[in-house]
Amino acid sequence: MIKIFIDKDPVEVEEGTTVLKAAERAGIHIPHLCYHPAFPPEGSCRMCLVEIEGFPKLELACSTVVKKDMKISTKSERVVEARKAVLEFLLAEHPLDCPICDKAGDCKLQDYYDEYGLFESQFKEVKEKREKKLKIGKTLILDQERCILCTRCVRFLREVTETQELGVFHRGVHSSVNIYDGATVVNNYAGNLAEICPVGAITDEDFRFKTRSWFLEKRESICPLCSRGCNILIEYHPGFARFEVPKKVYRIKARENPEVNGFWICDRGRYGYSYLEEGRADQIILNKIDGENVLTWENISEYLGEKIKRLYSAKKATGIALILHTWLSNEELFLVHKIFKEDLKVEKIFFADPPQIEADGYLLTSDPSPNIRGALEIGFDIKTVDLDALADGTDFLLAFGPFLSGLFSLGDLKEALDKIKGKVLFSYYSNELNSLFDIVIPVALIAEKAGSLTNVDGIVQSFQPALEPPGESLPEWKVLADLGKKLGIDSKFFEKFTSPDAILGEMGKKITFFQEKE
Amino acid sequence: MSLEFSEKAKKKIEEIVARYPQKEAAILPVLHVTQQEFGFISAVQEKIVAKVLGIKPIRVRELVTFYTMLTRESLGKYHIQVCTNLSCHLLGADNFVDYLVDKLGIQPGETTPDKKFTLSTVECLGACERAPCMMINFNYYGDLDPKKVDEILDNLK
Repeated sequence: MIKIFIDKDPVEVEEGTTVLKAAERAGIHIPHLCYHPAFPPEGSCRMCLVEIEGFPKLELACSTVVKKDMKISTKSERVVEARKAVLEFLLAEHPLDCPICDKAGDCKLQDYYDEYGLFESQFKEVKEKREKKLKIGKTLILDQERCILCTRCVRFLREVTETQELGVFHRGVHSSVNIYDGATVVNNYAGNLAEICPVGAITDEDFRFKTRSWFLEKRESICPLCSRGCNILIEYHPGFARFEVPKKVYRIKARENPEVNGFWICDRGRYGYSYLEEGRADQIILNKIDGENVLTWENISEYLGEKIKRLYSAKKATGIALILHTWLSNEELFLVHKIFKEDLKVEKIFFADPPQIEADGYLLTSDPSPNIRGALEIGFDIKTVDLDALADGTDFLLAFGPFLSGLFSLGDLKEALDKIKGKVLFSYYSNELNSLFDIVIPVALIAEKAGSLTNVDGIVQSFQPALEPPGESLPEWKVLADLGKKLGIDSKFFEKFTSPDAILGEMGKKITFFQEKE
Repeated sequence: MSLEFSEKAKKKIEEIVARYPQKEAAILPVLHVTQQEFGFISAVQEKIVAKVLGIKPIRVRELVTFYTMLTRESLGKYHIQVCTNLSCHLLGADNFVDYLVDKLGIQPGETTPDKKFTLSTVECLGACERAPCMMINFNYYGDLDPKKVDEILDNLK
């Protein structure tokens, strides 16, 4: 560690780091456009100029390495003047069409102009005409006039995906980012381009012109669409009551996590967000009920408890079968394991997960469920549902998840399930599968509850609710913790489980793998 | 048009590539050989060069469009490059370009229909002491005036 001075304040920084990174760590933002932490400094935008004592000219913060006792000013008059001048050059060739630009509100060029620019343009010449709507990918549109040639997109495709679909053609004032003879960006990470473009040059048809970025609320979550567990931001419109704009998720963005996904997410995770809203179940469905009162969330665990107790006291734990899936959190799987495997000694435990997909060799894995590793570490043996074994001698089936219908035809399922007397399903969706069960209880998705997941590399990641679960849906862990209490086999054990954190804490004590991972 | 390098060019390229620790680094000298071989570098040539160097054609196009000495279209027999930078400009390069435009009937960047002349304007040719100056193919001509240009062009077959 060495000491440097940023704006007269002493700061301890790592040797070999750059001025920009050192300032960022000290909480000082140095404006930059071409620099992106995923790549080596490029130094082409000139926005990050700072004054360093002893240097005759202003230096680039992104590429200048700190030295002992370096005195850096990030806010001096010269620096502010330089930023203004740089902005004037960048904007000379920019169309200044913010009001109709989809990136407005999300654009660093706009932000910096507001902070450091605010000049009267001296540019009287005619601006270069370029391609305004060049389709460079399945959903990506490039506006070459808005481009400031930071080359983040070119570098991303060169260094991360190594597919090199974009390049900078021509030079000087004629330079422009372009594709090679109509060959568009085709890879599973194309969506990241719209996200790393600091201006309105690359926009995403999946999002553009549907809403404005300043209406969106941003919430942290974890992508459940494969076992990588990429960190994401869910951006949703909270809805306007007055104009009848409904609450809706508009896009998913990558959230930095160097251990898991770096700065990126794949297109499957980015564009596959319809699972959050489409076809969701929001009410408890009672298809068949034997004499009981109307079920509500308060008495579900009581109802289930009674049902299970009746079977158990008749020494018929063999009559209980369970279908699980690995979209359940560590905590939920742990509670299921404790209640059904340890206490009730249920043997018929199956898993119904979405079918395997093709991995892309980078982030996307072949398992389209987020918590397979967690289920294994908790002690489950992941057996796919076998309909004959499931129905044979089963009196009561407790099933989780909507994924059964992806594994079997509805006819085969009906045939097997008709043999079982009592059937309860916890599902996210309202679909045909639900008609086969007596009771369907709507539950919260990962984006709507708290808990933790164990990714393919064994990294345990906690998450908090990003969205409200629809209607009557609630997280499974609440029912399970309650059920544990109501069953009365080991009631005390379940009493302290008032939050997923408390459950994970207990897991750390019981399972070595989860020690200090809470 | 041959889609392959001649044996001579292939040997030359081999020699050039061997000089660099990475194949890609040889791209500029290889492009010069390519231009000598084919006269210009269009998409077909870009792909051949990319294949030889084990890179994507888009990398080749980035360079071909960047450097003015590399051309993407076939040129006339005589490539006239007129300097319009500072010294030449002060000594009337603009009038001089206008004179050539009138005389040849083409704009800068164009080739005469008989494929004899291509006219380009370029930045400094490094011959300010002879401003205004121009290059025709690889020969320099300086201290130009319309009369001198007429003589030079008339002598070109």
